[in-house]
Amino acid sequence: MRPTGIWHASYATEARVLETVRSRLWLSLFGAVLLGLPLMASPWMLGELTNLFITLIAVCGLYVTVGMAGQINIAQSAFVGVGAFTAAKLSNMGAPVWAVIPAAALITGAVSVLFALPAARVKGFYLALTTLAAQVMFPIVILALPMSWLGGLVGMPVMPPVLFGLNLGTPSGLYFLGLAFAALAVWTTYNLPRSRIGRAFRTVHDNDSAAGVMGIPVTRIKIEAFFAGALYAGVAGAILAYMLQFVTVSSFTLFASVWYLGMLIVGGLHSPLGPILGVVFVTLVQEGLHTAGNAILQSGSGLGGGAVFAASSLVLGLCILAALIFEPRGLAHIWHQLMTAFRLWPFPRN
Amino acid sequence: MINLIQILIEGALVGLVYGLVAISFVVIYRASKIINLAQGEVVVVGAFLLWTFTAGAAAAGYPIPLALGLLLTFAGCVAFGWTVERTIFRPLIGQSAFTIFMAGVALLILLRGLTQLIWGAQSRSMPVILPEGALQLGPFLLNTRLLIGAVFTVVLTIALHAFFTRSRLGLRLAAVAEDHTTAHSLGVSVRQAIAVAWILGTMVATAAAVVLLSGSILSLEVAVIGFKALPVALLGGLESIRGAPLAGLIIGIFEALASAYLDPLTNGAASGLLPYAAMIAVLLIRPYGLFGWRRIERL
Repeated sequence: MRPTGIWHASYATEARVLETVRSRLWLSLFGAVLLGLPLMASPWMLGELTNLFITLIAVCGLYVTVGMAGQINIAQSAFVGVGAFTAAKLSNMGAPVWAVIPAAALITGAVSVLFALPAARVKGFYLALTTLAAQVMFPIVILALPMSWLGGLVGMPVMPPVLFGLNLGTPSGLYFLGLAFAALAVWTTYNLPRSRIGRAFRTVHDNDSAAGVMGIPVTRIKIEAFFAGALYAGVAGAILAYMLQFVTVSSFTLFASVWYLGMLIVGGLHSPLGPILGVVFVTLVQEGLHTAGNAILQSGSGLGGGAVFAASSLVLGLCILAALIFEPRGLAHIWHQLMTAFRLWPFPRN
Repeated sequence: MINLIQILIEGALVGLVYGLVAISFVVIYRASKIINLAQGEVVVVGAFLLWTFTAGAAAAGYPIPLALGLLLTFAGCVAFGWTVERTIFRPLIGQSAFTIFMAGVALLILLRGLTQLIWGAQSRSMPVILPEGALQLGPFLLNTRLLIGAVFTVVLTIALHAFFTRSRLGLRLAAVAEDHTTAHSLGVSVRQAIAVAWILGTMVATAAAVVLLSGSILSLEVAVIGFKALPVALLGGLESIRGAPLAGLIIGIFEALASAYLDPLTNGAASGLLPYAAMIAVLLIRPYGLFGWRRIERL
C-alpha cells in the first residue's frame, strides 16, 4: 500500500522508486552508515559484510532469472565460478580492475547463453536441467584443462585490485568495491521490472504461450534472462576472486547454487526486496549458528564442526519449506505487510 | 575385440544401476508429478537406514539377522516416505510445478543436514549383502553384484510397468501425474498418491543403494549418484518406467566407452561430461525424452 498524500504532477514523479521525503532520508542515512562502517568495524566484520555483498549480487542475478523470468537456474554458483576464474586469469595477464569486472560479467553471460540455447526447444524443468549440466560440467572442464590455462586442481592466484594507484586489496578497499557493486546490483534489480524487457520477463514468467501470442519473442527473452542473471554472477565472481586472492573449483559447488536459490525463496521471489532480505536473513542465521556452534565446541562436548554446518543446512531447509508452505511470497511480503500496518496505524489493516 | 566387449558389458551393468536410481526418480514423478531433485539424498537416507539395521546394530551390540535387517530397512523407508508426504508435500498439493520443484530443493538441503547430524560425516563400510566376485563367461568377466542388480532392475521395471499401466491404483497414480486438480476432482486421492509415490520411490532408491554399496564404502558423497541418474531419467522420459533402464544402458555404455577411449586424450573429462552432453543433445532432438509423454499446451 502506498503512503497517503502522494499525487503525481508529472511523469517523473510517478516513476520514482522512493516516493516520500522520509523514505529518501532513511535510505541516505542507511547509505551513510554503510559508507562510515569501515572506520569502526573490525577487519573480520568487514570481510563478513563483503561476503554478504558478493552473495547479494549473485542472488540479485538469480532474482532476475528465476524470480522475474521464471526460468529455474541451478548453476548460479558455477556462473560465479566462471566470473572468478575469468577475473583471476585476466588479473594475471595484467588487466586493471575496471576492465576485469565488466569482462568477467560479459564472459560469464556468454557462457550462460550457451546453456540457455536449448530454451528454443525445451521449457520448464527440462530447461532447469540444462543449467544442472552447466553446474556439473564446470569443475570437470576446469580440472581437465591444462594447468597453465586455469590452474587445474591447484587453483589460481589473483593479483590484488589496483584502481588509480589505490590498492583495493585491503579489507576496507574490498568492502567499498563490494558495496559499490552491490548498490549497483540492487539499483538495477529495482529498475528492471519497470523496463520494457522486465515486463517481457514477467509475461514469460506468468504464461509463456500467452506471451508468445502477444508478440514477445519467448526464446530470446528466456536466453536474455539467463544472460542478465549471469552478468550479476560474473561481477560477484570477480569480486569474490579479488577477496579470496586464490580461486579453486571447490568453492563453486552445486550445493552453493542450491543455497543461493534457498536465500531467494526465503526472501521472496516476487519483489526486488526479496534478495536483500533473504541474503541478510540467511547470513544472520548462519552466523548465529556459527557463534553458537563455537560456544558449544569450546564448552568441550562431543559435537564436531561438521555438526554446525549440518545444523545450518537443516535450518535453511526448514526456512525454505516454511516459506513455501506458509508464506510463498517470502520475507519481502511480510515486510510490506508490516509497512502497511505501520502506515495505517492505529487503523487495522484491511 | 574381447576388450571392447568387456567394456560394453561393464558399461551396461553400471548403466543399469543408474537406471535403477532413475527408476526411483521416475516412480516419484510418475505417481505424484513431483520432480525430486533430492533423489541422491534419498538414496543416502536409504543406505544409512540399511547400515543402521545391519552393521550399525551389530556394532552397537545387537546383531540382527540380515533378512530381518532388510525388513526393518524397508519399514524405515515406508516411515520416511510417509513422513515426507505428510509434512512437506501434503500442504503443497495443487501448487505450481515451480513451488514443488523448490520444495525438492529445500528437501535436498534439509536431508543433507539431517543425515549429517544423525549419522555424522565419517565414511563407513557397508556389509556385504550381494555376493562379491566375478562370473566367468567365456573370455568375459561379469561382476556378480552388478549382475544381480541388473537382473533385479529388469524384473523391477517389468513389474512397475505392469503396476502403472494395468492395476487400478497405478492408473490412479498416472492421473495424479497428469494434473493434481483434475485428478482430485475426479475422486482420486492425491494425498494417497503422493504417499505411495514416496514410499515406492524410497524403497527403489534403497534397493539401488544395496546394489551400489554392498561391500563398499558409504559416505555422504554417495548422493552424487542422484545427479548422475537425472540425465538418465530425462533421457528415458520422465513418465516412462521402461525408458529409465534403457536410457541407463545407453548412458552407461557410452560412459564406459568414453572412459576407455576418450579419457586418455581429454585428461579424464570425457566420461564425466558425456552423460550431460547426451542429455542436452537428446533434449534438443526430443524435448520429452525417448518415451516421455508429449504434453499439448493450450491457452
